Amino acid sequence: MLTSLLRFLTFLGLSMSLLAQAQGVPQSGGDFSNNPEAKKLPTGVLLVKGAWSSASDSVTPLPEGGRVDKNIYNNPYFGFTYALSPDWVEKFSGPPPSDSGYYVLAQIRPAETFKRARGSILLAAQDLFFTLTPAGNALELVNFAKDKLSPDYKVEQPPALVTIAGHSFVGFAYGSPVAELHWYVLATQIRCHMVQFVFTSRDDKLVESLIHDMDKMTLPAEAGPISGRGGGDVPVCIKDYASGENVIERVPPVFAERRFNPVPVRIIIDKEGKVKHVHFLSTFPDQAKAISDALSQWRFKPYLHDGHPVELETGILFGRAPRLATSPSTNAGTE
Amino acid sequence: MKTVKRASVLAFLVALFLPGIAFSQTDPGVQGGPARAGSPLASVNSSDGTLQFFQNGQARFQDIESVSNSPTGNNGLGPRFNFVQCSGCHLQPAVGGTGPATNPQFQVIANGFVSGSTNAIPSFITANGPTREARFPFFFDQFGNPNPNAPNGGVEDLFTVSGRSDAGSCSLPQPSFALAQQTNNIIFRIPTPTFGAGLIENVDDSTLLRNQAANANNNLGISGTFNHNGNDGTIARFGWKAQNKSLELFAGEAYNVEMGISNEIFTQDRPLPGEDMNAGLPASCLNLSGSGYPEDTTNFTTKAGSDQFATNASIPSDTVMFAMFMRLLAPPTPSTTTPGGATSIANGRRLFSAIGCATCHTPTLSSTQASNFTASLGNAPANAFSDLEIHHMGTGLADNVSQGGAGGDQFRTAPLWGLGQRIFLLHDGRTRNLLSAIEAHESNGSEGTQAELNFDQLLTSSQQQDVLNFLRSL
Repeated sequence: MLTSLLRFLTFLGLSMSLLAQAQGVPQSGGDFSNNPEAKKLPTGVLLVKGAWSSASDSVTPLPEGGRVDKNIYNNPYFGFTYALSPDWVEKFSGPPPSDSGYYVLAQIRPAETFKRARGSILLAAQDLFFTLTPAGNALELVNFAKDKLSPDYKVEQPPALVTIAGHSFVGFAYGSPVAELHWYVLATQIRCHMVQFVFTSRDDKLVESLIHDMDKMTLPAEAGPISGRGGGDVPVCIKDYASGENVIERVPPVFAERRFNPVPVRIIIDKEGKVKHVHFLSTFPDQAKAISDALSQWRFKPYLHDGHPVELETGILFGRAPRLATSPSTNAGTE
Repeated sequence: MKTVKRASVLAFLVALFLPGIAFSQTDPGVQGGPARAGSPLASVNSSDGTLQFFQNGQARFQDIESVSNSPTGNNGLGPRFNFVQCSGCHLQPAVGGTGPATNPQFQVIANGFVSGSTNAIPSFITANGPTREARFPFFFDQFGNPNPNAPNGGVEDLFTVSGRSDAGSCSLPQPSFALAQQTNNIIFRIPTPTFGAGLIENVDDSTLLRNQAANANNNLGISGTFNHNGNDGTIARFGWKAQNKSLELFAGEAYNVEMGISNEIFTQDRPLPGEDMNAGLPASCLNLSGSGYPEDTTNFTTKAGSDQFATNASIPSDTVMFAMFMRLLAPPTPSTTTPGGATSIANGRRLFSAIGCATCHTPTLSSTQASNFTASLGNAPANAFSDLEIHHMGTGLADNVSQGGAGGDQFRTAPLWGLGQRIFLLHDGRTRNLLSAIEAHESNGSEGTQAELNFDQLLTSSQQQDVLNFLRSL
């Protein structure tokens, strides 16, 4: 009896040990001929992300959260809608937000069945918190782009203010004589982001028609190449607010792993000076956790507008910033 | 009358289809003729010893390594490896390049480098296919299912030394390539060419950052970043994901991972991923060379010769000399006339820039640092056609392997210099066709979608042909 019990215990122990080993040690391969129906990984799917975007909650709209639905692009964060021309579609989604605050919102092109039009529409945004360009507003960003235009291009219309859907935009056109292509850039500023429509085509009339269609857009009241600094129903935005005396209590994040990527973080501060929402534009999960834990302890001086505390949106760059210092310009949304 | 009608119809059909045929764009293909690369930099010469170092490194780059008892002393191969010689895989169009037309990995059994009784040629290694390394993006669970919660990504060497007469009793199985293929848990990488690598190594970070900032407002949906060296935080730049900082690190890693030879940078024999978390390599497969670790070291005792520089060049380790050879390799020399003629190439170059390709494939990084190696490496432009940034390339190219700061869909902008004489394209060598390679730049999540669209949808066939001619002129 005792022998049987010992045998059983030995068998149990060995089984547990083997099981633990099997579960604990990753397998590089091996003889799995007894499992001919091994599960397949999906193809064409990104399963291993590097630094990526994330947020502290799933309710607060994000700049990259716009979608095309029923041929209308709707972006709740920026508060605008854009109706696509008939037979134009979003074939491929864009990349995630970059660590310099650049967003591809949508890439629109003619449907493959629609052969008459040849062109593309890029909806993009560049925040003014983390831009690599020394610019304080959308107008300056477009002017900078014009000044840095490669000699391969010819300026066809210098940056100038135009009205689209009842709002002020800066319009800029350039072309490539060799490619016989034209680019029309229409940009405005919403919540301290340059929101940009880039039309590319060799057909001027097509672009004129597309731009004409933009009049059907709905935009927030603040939209304008300089004026878009939040407020009203959305937080006021101010670049570099998380500095100096504005920060009453600052707790540095404790990173478990030493990395060297820039970690741009957009935060919304509530009326009491606490961090209400955190948006990581580009970060590894462990970095996001460490920064979230730290920011939950930060306290800010409440921002007053007309003597009343209001919610405020700003950006903080954590991690290493291996970039050239941009020359100071007009602060984004400095009131 | 009937004949006239038929002739008219024929003429109409010819008129209808001929322009299409005439302007149908095609990849001009791999450019023949003499290799446009493989020579040392212009300043490399015998009077300061740089030529002797280049030649010594070049010779070692072509050495065939053995496990033990090699009369030439080239011991240390394995216990696992992808090939026995650097130049086996870095051969096109000259020593130091990328994979050749005839795949030497397919011949390893026939050539006696691998025992056919203990190894099989994996099905993805073919006679005229690309030379490859394989990686499993994920570990398998105990039932043989790939586990998406257990990222792997390390190199799974193709062959083992088991069964070789110089490998003693070492007995190792090959990884389960068939299972990995069956479950879509395998990706491939082809060798990166190393011509001009010394210039890339010597580009200062600030130059790269200035280039990044200059291209920031590109209206193309492009916004890359850099991979960084985990030790000092500076910008890394070698490898498909820019995971390696320097040529010496690059050489040391390749010697260890691709050939199984421990060296002064990677000082132990390398177990497979997963194996290292288990019992490691069996004792019978360790120290197979019999000389201890690392297997590649500085040569303390050398025979003096009449040429002091040549003697000096024999002292450093293989790893150091591999790096020196790559560093002193001149960049490829582009053709101004072939394929397609000078006008087409010049036009294609302007179009390449105009449609946005040059935003990532930066034609020239303005200038390198002053060089303490040789004059040609200092204060010189690097015409690499790369910004050395890593970019999201979307689900179509994603390999689900993370390296340093690069995620599963991020790749270094592949330098295009020498493209004219490359056979296999993209990181895994999936195509030989330049048009297919360009097409692969668009997919969900790719930064290259807009530029690809400009090429594919907005250029005429004639303009596209100019771009292709330009690219194959490099």
